[in-house]
Amino acid sequence: MTATPRRRWSRAALARRTGLVAAVGLLAAGCAQNAPQDTWDPAGENAQKIHDLQWPVFTVAGIVGVIVLSVVGFAIWKFRDRGQPIPEQTHGKPKLEIALTILPALILIGVAIPTVGTLMALNETDDTECIVNVTGQQWWWEFDYPVQDGCGGIDEPIITSGQMVIPADTNVLIRGTSRDVIHSFWIPRLNGKRDMVPGRVHTLRMQANEPGIYAGQCAEFCGLSHANMRMEVAALNDADFEAWKANQLEDYESPAEGTLAAEGEQTFITNCARCHQVDGLRDSDGQLVVSRPDNQVFSGAAPNLTNLMTRNTFAGATWDLITQERRDQVWEADPDEFGDLYLAGVEDEWFNEVDLREWLRNSPAKKPMYADPTRLEETDGLVRGMPYLALSEAQIDQLLAYLLERK
Amino acid sequence: MSDVVKETAQDAVDIVEDHAADVHEHDVHAGDDHAAHDDHGGHHTSLGLSNTKLAMWLFLGSECLLFGGLISTYMLYRNRTSGDVGPDQLWDIPFTSASSFVLLMSSLTMVLAVSAAGRKDDRNTKLWMGTTAALGGLFLAGQVYEFTTFYREGLGYTDSLFASSFYTLTGFHGAHVAIGIIMLLATVGMLAKGKISGDRAETVEMVGLYWHFVDIVWILIFTLVYLIPA
Amino acid sequence: MAIIERPTDTAPAVYEPPPVTATSSYGYLRRPVETTGWRSWAFTVDHKKIGIMYGVTAMFFFIVGGLEAGLIRWQLAGPDGTILSADKYNQMFTMHATTMVFLFVMPMAAAFANYMIPLQIGARDVAFPRLNALSFWVFLFGGIFLNTSWILGGGADGGWFMYAPNSDTPFSPSNGVDFWALGLQITGIASLVGAVNLIVTCLNMRAPGMSLMRMPIFTWMAMVVQFLLLFAMPVITVALFLLIFQRNYDATFFSVAEGADPLLWQHLFWIFGHPEVYIIVLPSFGIISEVLPVFSKKPLFGYPFVVFSGAAIGFVGWGVWAHHMFASGLGPVSVAVFSVATMAIAVPTGVKIINWTLTMWGGKLAFTTAMLFAVGLIVQFTLGGLSGVTHSVAPSDTQQTDTYYIVAHFHYVIFGGAVLGLFAGMYYWWPKVFGKALSEKWGKWNFWWMIVGMNLTFGPMHIIGLQGQPRRMYVWTEARAGEGFFNLGFWNLVASIGTVVLAIGVLFWMINVWVTHRPGSKIPPAPLDPWDARSLEWMTTSPPKPHNFDRTPTVHALDEVFHRKYEDVGEGDQHDYVQRATLEEIVAEEERNADAHIHLPAPSYWPIVLAFSLPIIAYGVIYTSWLIAAGAAIAIAAMFGWALEPADAEETDFDPPAEPGESTSKELANV
Repeated sequence: MTATPRRRWSRAALARRTGLVAAVGLLAAGCAQNAPQDTWDPAGENAQKIHDLQWPVFTVAGIVGVIVLSVVGFAIWKFRDRGQPIPEQTHGKPKLEIALTILPALILIGVAIPTVGTLMALNETDDTECIVNVTGQQWWWEFDYPVQDGCGGIDEPIITSGQMVIPADTNVLIRGTSRDVIHSFWIPRLNGKRDMVPGRVHTLRMQANEPGIYAGQCAEFCGLSHANMRMEVAALNDADFEAWKANQLEDYESPAEGTLAAEGEQTFITNCARCHQVDGLRDSDGQLVVSRPDNQVFSGAAPNLTNLMTRNTFAGATWDLITQERRDQVWEADPDEFGDLYLAGVEDEWFNEVDLREWLRNSPAKKPMYADPTRLEETDGLVRGMPYLALSEAQIDQLLAYLLERK
Repeated sequence: MSDVVKETAQDAVDIVEDHAADVHEHDVHAGDDHAAHDDHGGHHTSLGLSNTKLAMWLFLGSECLLFGGLISTYMLYRNRTSGDVGPDQLWDIPFTSASSFVLLMSSLTMVLAVSAAGRKDDRNTKLWMGTTAALGGLFLAGQVYEFTTFYREGLGYTDSLFASSFYTLTGFHGAHVAIGIIMLLATVGMLAKGKISGDRAETVEMVGLYWHFVDIVWILIFTLVYLIPA
Repeated sequence: MAIIERPTDTAPAVYEPPPVTATSSYGYLRRPVETTGWRSWAFTVDHKKIGIMYGVTAMFFFIVGGLEAGLIRWQLAGPDGTILSADKYNQMFTMHATTMVFLFVMPMAAAFANYMIPLQIGARDVAFPRLNALSFWVFLFGGIFLNTSWILGGGADGGWFMYAPNSDTPFSPSNGVDFWALGLQITGIASLVGAVNLIVTCLNMRAPGMSLMRMPIFTWMAMVVQFLLLFAMPVITVALFLLIFQRNYDATFFSVAEGADPLLWQHLFWIFGHPEVYIIVLPSFGIISEVLPVFSKKPLFGYPFVVFSGAAIGFVGWGVWAHHMFASGLGPVSVAVFSVATMAIAVPTGVKIINWTLTMWGGKLAFTTAMLFAVGLIVQFTLGGLSGVTHSVAPSDTQQTDTYYIVAHFHYVIFGGAVLGLFAGMYYWWPKVFGKALSEKWGKWNFWWMIVGMNLTFGPMHIIGLQGQPRRMYVWTEARAGEGFFNLGFWNLVASIGTVVLAIGVLFWMINVWVTHRPGSKIPPAPLDPWDARSLEWMTTSPPKPHNFDRTPTVHALDEVFHRKYEDVGEGDQHDYVQRATLEEIVAEEERNADAHIHLPAPSYWPIVLAFSLPIIAYGVIYTSWLIAAGAAIAIAAMFGWALEPADAEETDFDPPAEPGESTSKELANV
């Protein structure tokens, strides 16, 4: 073998290899980094199962695509009109046709078998270690933890919203439904999505390998503010999860007399408590205040605010209760530091007052909702979402002070 | 039709095997078809089936899916009643059986009308079509009676899923019967005035096809809705 | 329009239609006889005029739908867009999809089917010309009705899939959804009537010798589509009736409080909706299966395989609807079955791509604009098909469904598959329909800008979707967009810029039409055979005469016209094709041997009148019931007028009257 062909060969190989690396690199570089809802960045066993299935399928599809398009490209170049005579008027070669029909069929059988296997595995419910009931509603999610032996034992139900807290490295089973239209629960890094349908209960497995926070978004179009219906899963290690549970079930403590927050408690009872529940809150007569959204509120429910400031977000996880800086710390925390940062909740020094203030000033202006009591005719007599409450700045100050203590 | 299938299959084989040069030697099959059917069809058609008849068959095929959808909806919701106003409380099987029998008989009279039309016997065609329309009218009257009775017994259209889907399914069928009656009477009228352009027997046959279809759908509805216990 | 042709015994080479005047009236109205002016269009039953009207209307709605898409992408170009309110945005994407699917792609395919099917099978018109006119007018009035919602309180806002219960009045209180449901009900009537008509035409009106397996492939695919419409339309009709009764008459079908199951709507919708996907793409598959052989100078490779794979897609297309519902909570067994069925449908689709490629293989390729669009379809549709395979894998689909990845997928399929094919058809058949070819120079600008534009618009959506951005959100937020230069914000911006490029591509098309047809345009008439075509529609003048063919052609082969033009003088395995005749000579020969007595159906007032009654009834359902009665009265009057009017004008209607005993032609049926 002479040197020349060898060099040509290696140069071609080099070009090919460089091309491949460049293509893969371009593809990787062409994507966003650390996208919180990246479906190709699994962080739990279920999403991992999907990922183990999807990357080979994408690879096979990519190879098939390259082959088909190369053949097409070659035909375009090779058989362009260069004055050649009219080709033979052949109508086809049945054997070739049949072979080329069987080939894709075989490839697809190869794809079908693992698909069915994964599908069944993702629908297992026997290994559940913790149950969370999830209810979708326009346009936020409610999470309640029923009394159970799972989740390290829960003796009293816990209700929260916006952020679902789960123990890490635990098989959680979501039982989901909806109070109005169809929503879809989706935490891409933990599992695929599942529609939450009114009148039906659907289950979905959730498992996070490590403590951390995982973003999600309602994925089924659910009306006006579909874009503003987000949710997050916070996974905590077992000890931190116990601490979180204990905190959620702590008794209600009224603000100290004479403080701004104490005035806020009264303002809350007058303006907010019809829809928003704060467990243990008592009015001036000492009666427990129980929220009873009247018939005008379509779903008859609003987020439970008992422990609002243990969450990092509000209004369908759309706005932060913490400052951007603090948020970055929480989201980028190492797994073993995450629990402390998350359990600290919202403190004065990193409280994002701006968005919550705007929200209290005029919530429908911030988040589109069918919530204008003066336009009930248009909305079929029903309010969905939080209406404009015409609060004074002083009342808002009181409410902010009151709410900041809800943790 | 089977000839067409055979011919199609043969052509498919030919196309793959033959080269262009041989193609010209093929027989002109469809041309032969025309000759074969010319004596009893009014028009040249490739299948030998008249255009209107083929169109009616296609339309009825489409109607099958319409009723399929409505029946599926009913079957899904038949047990979702409100209170105790359900099939068991409402159905009056002897009455509905009688009105079903009336509708079945109308199919028989329709057959007689079509056969009279085939003999070019206008008088009997009109007579039997009129009878068919009358029997259809009787069936509709029965349905109206049934609906009013059910309504009085507390089954309003908006009361339950069962109610909505029952009234919608049987209402759609009733509307089809009503349209059939209009078609029958219009045809009788046009026959009387000699206004039918084209083949009379075929026009009557078209109405007949539609009418039999509506009857068959009722048999299905009667069985699924009334006879099979909820 | 010419109603009758009476060649004299001397048979002139080219003859003018003799004058036609109505001499008697039917009922109280004289039959329309105008051959020029708006009346000649409004009352026409000529499949060619109806085809052109379908095409013009469809392109108008294409631009409307495109503007809606432009607003959507403008809103999403940056985070927290403020161009549209949430409400307007929801209306915009609902109406964009509805317009593009029901008012552009379907009628554009209907335009080609109407115009080309009779020509391709050697017929003088469709089986039921008046029903054909009815289809068009019903579609047009339905489309207008649907769009009047914009000025009557806002468009529908539930997405084109209109899932219950979000489409019920408490959640969508404006009349938008009513307009949507009733408008689709009306256009559905147009589709159903058209389907019956065209199937009968394909099966029954073929010229002598035109066996099913000699039918041009476009006609085949169009016929499969009509069968799909025939069986899919009644299903959506039921769903829409349930929705209309729910919203307007307080029925309970979707009232969860009464125990309703919201999945009922999804099943009904997708049993229609999935065949609808094939209704959208198969006509374009047919078109490029005509275009590729012509510009490759080779027959379609494996014609029977393409026919049968088309039919197979038509059948299997019924068994995969639930793959739109993998996340709906169907249960693993159903999902597994539908997942595997969905993979199975990729096989016949793959067969088509293989056949197109092998058609080009060994050919003599001429890259005209039509050919470029056809090759563009192969490439873009292959990409769309492969992304389709990735979400036939149900577990992966639960990650991908309702994200932009799906938006990317179906735009590659629908824009890359259907729309590019329709443009290929336009460039290919333009000289046939209008007698003048569109400019190739502008055509190439049109093609390249559209191709680049579509890839810039829809390509990035693969990344946006896989990295977690759901569909149908009126804003996206930087908090979920990730980091780095190539974050989702970057790709959203690229997609929006791509829309501008795409729009410029469409603008080049409009310029092309203007340049070709503007008054005083210097572009000469196209030759009879501009592309060296192969199928029967070219064996007549351009544009064709009202009666299509002077002599009903007798067909001897698939690619009849090619075999009339060329002869293989090679020996044994050697092939050598020499041109025996030009198309000009063949057409002249046909003119010399024109059929003696060609009788065409006469125009009629009733189709447009009957069609007009439908939107009146629909307004009545929304606003006030007396309008329903008024509309119904018009409808019934029109139907009786229709029934009493013979499809063909009587012999005495013509000047000179027919001679006694002279039989009418039998090409056309009476309706």
